[in-house]
Amino acid sequence: MKLEGRVALVTGGSRGIGRGICLALADEGAAVGVNYRSGKDAAEEVVELIKSKGGHAVAVPGDVSEWEEAEAAVEQTIRELGGLHILVNNAGVSQDALIVNMDPNDWLKVMKVNFGGTFNCTKAAFNHFALDRDGVIVNISSVMGEQGWMGESNYAASKGAVNAFTKCCAVEFARFGVRVNAVLPGFIPTDLVEGLLTVDGGKGISKQILLKSFGQVEDVASVVTFLAGPDAKYMTGSFITVDGGASTVLGLGSPLKK
Amino acid sequence: MAIPHDEALSITQEAVIGALGLDDDEATPDSTLLDDLGAESIDLLDMLFRIERKTGTKIQAADLADYVQGGIPDEEFGDENGIVTAKGLEQLKKVMPQIDADSLAGKLEAEKVITYFTVDNLATLVAQRVGG
Repeated sequence: MKLEGRVALVTGGSRGIGRGICLALADEGAAVGVNYRSGKDAAEEVVELIKSKGGHAVAVPGDVSEWEEAEAAVEQTIRELGGLHILVNNAGVSQDALIVNMDPNDWLKVMKVNFGGTFNCTKAAFNHFALDRDGVIVNISSVMGEQGWMGESNYAASKGAVNAFTKCCAVEFARFGVRVNAVLPGFIPTDLVEGLLTVDGGKGISKQILLKSFGQVEDVASVVTFLAGPDAKYMTGSFITVDGGASTVLGLGSPLKK
Repeated sequence: MAIPHDEALSITQEAVIGALGLDDDEATPDSTLLDDLGAESIDLLDMLFRIERKTGTKIQAADLADYVQGGIPDEEFGDENGIVTAKGLEQLKKVMPQIDADSLAGKLEAEKVITYFTVDNLATLVAQRVGG
């Protein structure tokens, strides 16, 4: 187990990709703070699941888009789990709409959680990391942060902000022994993107993905676990795409087709 | 219970050397951090983390300016042109005894004060704060 003795905080850890990350980190031996905003029961279920397998975990309440709550979540994790070595900024929301129809408040709401939460938790954890000269941050971004998609302008912009922030953190934190990288998932069916499957079970989209299927939460979680662990000790400021090749292909048909 | 100045100086020199990647003999007590040694704000932050790790005492970067100014309000420390007042210079003589206050009278810009701050001046602050 590569994360034995390490303590992780995963924001938005009660469901979706965050839940999978909590379980994967715990499987590698990390004690996990499972942060949630409204899903208390779901977070406690994740905690119980980790404990049932002999691991350590606590549920950590807090809306990370609010500075004081993000700070409290970091402090609670350190207090109850005896330290902090890994921060996974995963909490995210979406509010899809065409720009012309988008409520002007909706871009800010998405930005406040997806980017603001990342900023707040990073800032809150940094002093602890820097004092120990030991810390890893993994930001859960999205392939949308580098490409455009219909109806996702606010979400894509927030993830683009996370990407830029990841690079800046890497620049500022390296000398303090803190690595910062981002994972860019593609199409992973979770509550966040429930619309993906509404038409034809999502086949229209999944068949365009190079690997011919949607990704699973575990596919993202395993890459996060890698970045959080010693095998990635020489990586900082990197983005890893986990999208079955979806964003690799140009997507304008197949010129060799007869 | 403050620590002896010698001990604070050696902790401070080690932190300055580590943060700036200097040779052992470069962080002399009278070197100014910003001008002579070329420290930037992130270097200062690094030094303060190193000092905290060694001593368990947190000194914030913002504390430095407050310490230098000695609690004198901005409008009394500098005049309307941003030049350090006589009262300000009296304070500076306490925390930076090496400065030649007479020759700086009427000329020292408040914003430049920190460029006169030396390794030894930082050590004095460290000696006061640790265990204090």
